[in-house]
Amino acid sequence: MRSRGGLDTAERVLGGPVLWAGLAALTAFALAPFVWVLLASFKTRAELYATPLVWLPTSLSLANYVEAWTSKLTPFSRFFANSLWVSSVTMVATTAISVLAGYALARFRFAGRQTVMLVFLATQMFPAVLLIAPLLSQWHALGLIDTYQALIYSNFSFTVPFTVWMLVGYFESIPRELEESALMDGCGRFGALCRVVLPLAAPGVAATAIFAFVSSWSELLFAITFTSQTEMRTLSAGLLFMVGQYEIQWGQLSAGVIISTLPVAVLFTVLQRHLIRGLTAGALKG
Amino acid sequence: MAREATLARPLARPLLTRRAREVLTGYLYLLPVVIALGATVVVPIVRAIQMSLYRNVLIKPQEYGFIGLGNYARLLDDDVFWLSLWNSFYWVFGSVSLQFLGGFVAALLLHQSFQGRAAVRTLTLLPWIIPGVVVALIWEYLYQPNYGALNDLLARAGLMTDKVAWLSNPSLAMPAVIATNVWRGVPFFAIMLLAGLQAIADELYEAARVDGAGVLERFWHITLPMLRPIIVVATATRIIWTFNYADLIFVMTSGGPANATQITSTYTLLQAYSNLDFGYAATLSVVLLLIMLAFTLLYLRVTRGVEPVA
Repeated sequence: MRSRGGLDTAERVLGGPVLWAGLAALTAFALAPFVWVLLASFKTRAELYATPLVWLPTSLSLANYVEAWTSKLTPFSRFFANSLWVSSVTMVATTAISVLAGYALARFRFAGRQTVMLVFLATQMFPAVLLIAPLLSQWHALGLIDTYQALIYSNFSFTVPFTVWMLVGYFESIPRELEESALMDGCGRFGALCRVVLPLAAPGVAATAIFAFVSSWSELLFAITFTSQTEMRTLSAGLLFMVGQYEIQWGQLSAGVIISTLPVAVLFTVLQRHLIRGLTAGALKG
Repeated sequence: MAREATLARPLARPLLTRRAREVLTGYLYLLPVVIALGATVVVPIVRAIQMSLYRNVLIKPQEYGFIGLGNYARLLDDDVFWLSLWNSFYWVFGSVSLQFLGGFVAALLLHQSFQGRAAVRTLTLLPWIIPGVVVALIWEYLYQPNYGALNDLLARAGLMTDKVAWLSNPSLAMPAVIATNVWRGVPFFAIMLLAGLQAIADELYEAARVDGAGVLERFWHITLPMLRPIIVVATATRIIWTFNYADLIFVMTSGGPANATQITSTYTLLQAYSNLDFGYAATLSVVLLLIMLAFTLLYLRVTRGVEPVA
């Protein structure tokens, strides 16, 4: 739609004013809510509850952040560390499990391989609420309530089906011939996987790993169901806890919201290109 | 397959044939995934089905016992369940259709070349990546009647005289949570459709241009048909995901006011968390699962006829 010359009127209007107005509206739509909360996180109590509404804080005070980070009742430093640990371990374990499974499904011949793939697809469509009651009683019986393990294992239920499904696609797109020469050199299957297939599939593996991290970071229902102690809460559970407990402190809550958003926003911004290519490849293949 | 290697080393005969070892290795590689999903998906689903056949209210342990399809019979008579199904439909249809429209417009805009495209793309995709609780709380604050931004903006624009309590008004609560979900989901469709747009060869547009096709005709006869497969896949994925998704409503309204935003998945949570009725919660979630399985089968039938792009 953008070659030189031969533009008709409709194209000139669409490419000029309409494009710019549309982009401005789109950016405002996406960003305005963030800006509102970011501003609120710097406001003092008086500014937050003033009538008429005060839009801009007088100073960039970090008091709300300090309070949220160090609070005894809702310690965001602790929530942050919990989220980081749970999401990182989920990411590493999910990737290890899924690389092996994805490789096996892409390379070995199984009876019922198609059925297995369908099961992975269907599992992605299961409602999370279905798993809550049975998992709660399971973790309870195993004495895993208020542990990181309960959260990490539960996260597999939604990270693993997706990453396996995606990785099978990546591995299948890598020519078998490349591995066969490695196998002939006496590498063994595992050696071939590590030295030939993984480096070639690295962008795809990275994209699915980040997916596992981000979706665990966002997870809420398991986190509130399988933990009861404040010091075991993740950021999502901590934020909800903060709302439920007292009259809502919008200043501290806004600071908490920004703290919870920042890591995934930065990750996404830095890795955007890889991530999007990785995650849309599956849909493009149909 | 690597027969030379075997010929080169005719040492002791291996215990298993090459083929048998390949098969064994394959199963060995699948072992971790079988354990991981067995323990967190398969066993829990079987347990959920079993739980749905019991009266199991945590605060009434003396009533615990097998009641067969008793919970399912109760469900048929439960008005709130039927209301929640209707609300789920409203929620899914409202959210997905508006997300699709917004995402399509966004994808068409982001597909054009302009200065700072990469930055705009990243910024507009942000609502999709942040945690659901965060989305819910940001919007709860925007909707807050006294200190929220929305009422203030509307009042300043002269569009509103009395303060509106968006989330506690039964007729406004559902549109309000849908608007939040639309904000969250537009980037998903934008990303998917943008990937689809980029996969369409420029030559197609050039050829159509030479034949004298205008912008609208090119959109109608090239863009839409070429995007069809990705539209089907993205929409179906999103419908399923939205139907199952409980976080936003759970945080913003807990299904209230007066069940106005109660969808089936939040109703399940309500039964488990507030009423501690695990038997009935399991029943609701099994029904949710059956609905999703039916939809998935339908979706697989539809997509079988869709040609893959690229």
